[in-house]
Amino acid sequence: MISPYLALMLFCGFIPLVYAINEVSKPSWKNLKGSYSTIYKILGDFRVIPDLGHSIFLLLVYVPLTIIAVLALSLLLDSTHVPGNTFMRLVFLLPGIVSGGISVFIWMFFIGSHVNWNLNNEAWIIAGVAFSSGAGSWVVIQYGSLRSIPREVLEAAHVDGCNRWKLAIQIKIPMIGRYIGYMGILLTASAIQIYSEPALLTKIGLPSNWWSLNQVAYSYAFQAGDFAAGTALSLDMLIPSIIIAIIFIRKTDFLKRSSY
Amino acid sequence: MSSRIEKRNSRFINLTLWALTIFVLLPFIWLIRQAGPQYILSTRFVFMNQNGIVLAWLKNSLLFSLTALGLSVISSVTAGFVLAILVIPFRKFLLFITLVTMLIPITAMALPLYVLVDKVHLTDNIWGLIIASSYYPFGTFLSYLYFVSAMPGDLIGMGRIDGLGDWGLFWHLGIPLSRSLWSVVIFFSFLNLWNSYQLPKVLLNDTRHYTLPMGLELLYGSSTAIVGVLMLIPILGVYLLSQQAIERGIFSGAVTG
Repeated sequence: MISPYLALMLFCGFIPLVYAINEVSKPSWKNLKGSYSTIYKILGDFRVIPDLGHSIFLLLVYVPLTIIAVLALSLLLDSTHVPGNTFMRLVFLLPGIVSGGISVFIWMFFIGSHVNWNLNNEAWIIAGVAFSSGAGSWVVIQYGSLRSIPREVLEAAHVDGCNRWKLAIQIKIPMIGRYIGYMGILLTASAIQIYSEPALLTKIGLPSNWWSLNQVAYSYAFQAGDFAAGTALSLDMLIPSIIIAIIFIRKTDFLKRSSY
Repeated sequence: MSSRIEKRNSRFINLTLWALTIFVLLPFIWLIRQAGPQYILSTRFVFMNQNGIVLAWLKNSLLFSLTALGLSVISSVTAGFVLAILVIPFRKFLLFITLVTMLIPITAMALPLYVLVDKVHLTDNIWGLIIASSYYPFGTFLSYLYFVSAMPGDLIGMGRIDGLGDWGLFWHLGIPLSRSLWSVVIFFSFLNLWNSYQLPKVLLNDTRHYTLPMGLELLYGSSTAIVGVLMLIPILGVYLLSQQAIERGIFSGAVTG
């Protein structure tokens, strides 16, 4: 039953992963002799430290704010009868489902094409675009997971005197812990690997060519033709994502099998 | 008294949500008001001129998205079921590789995928793109989380007592209890494929083989907006088809009845 997935995983996941790891050891402009030390030598690139700062900014601002906003919106949608609920979730999804080309126009209309950019706010603007394009999908998923909580449990808690706030904090959030963990893992990865949002903003005048680590990795791999360096930087981005994923997995019973 | 407070709070929640909805909707209303009529008038022009290339991109996008959708959804939901319910060797390893391949930047995977697709002589071919895009670890993990939480152990045990094998459990319990999950995975997989940009850019060369999001870049200008708006229609269609299941909840299976 799992064989179609295993075949796809092997061809499109595992083999490319092994290939990419092997490719890192090949000669690169950053390491002419070629070895796995490219993984840390690439960190000496002058763009890495400022970009690392941008990633840390996103991890500290974008990730927690998105988690809080998504949970708040989903809990509000689930807390009472809201006429137009489906329409609202669709509207929250909209900024995320428009493709790159059209979203440039939307942001141009939204911010104004003749604005003199204050570059000190660039990180906030990118975090804002990332938030607006990602939050809607997570609202759909978290609202769905909230709807899954057995109604009897919620009614019993209500009878015991739980108000909406207590119901949300003490019953609902703990019961969807795995989904929140999943969201945390993917948001962390997307903050470290952010690409489309800064790339998109270059089209409306922000100098964001190398704003993120992923843009630097992309420029190595596909503009400078140095795939070893590009992949080494990609693996550097993968490591913190994996560490944070392991922390989430340990904190929740994420990998536990359904027992019978 | 408490019912009055309850009503007041409900009204406050409704107002807050509607205010947020209007705030998010504003740029879209603005876009339509500013440019809508001209764009609608020139839609026909975009599709009929440009030597019919936009229609070719549309055809490619539909073939690619729908075929890869079928492959990705079936493989990921069945895998999620197996990983959550059945006893299989290397289960945690498979989950870990699923997680790693989901988290690794596409920059690292694009070239190896290109090399592999080239080895089977499918570069610049929509079928090469379909195979490379059908691996959907996000859907597998979502399905895994669903089955692990929504299918009680007792129910699976009873199924086993009734003589159900692995396939029997999937057909008689897994599928009927996971209709809403299928809808959610279908929606997100379609969204991901329809808007897919980076991998098609690496695997396709000939402009006639392009998908719509890639073509949009070539059209950059007023036509981008027209095609971009039209690109939303299939996504909205899939959303509306799946919304009923989403409304019922991802987990509206065995636990909630």
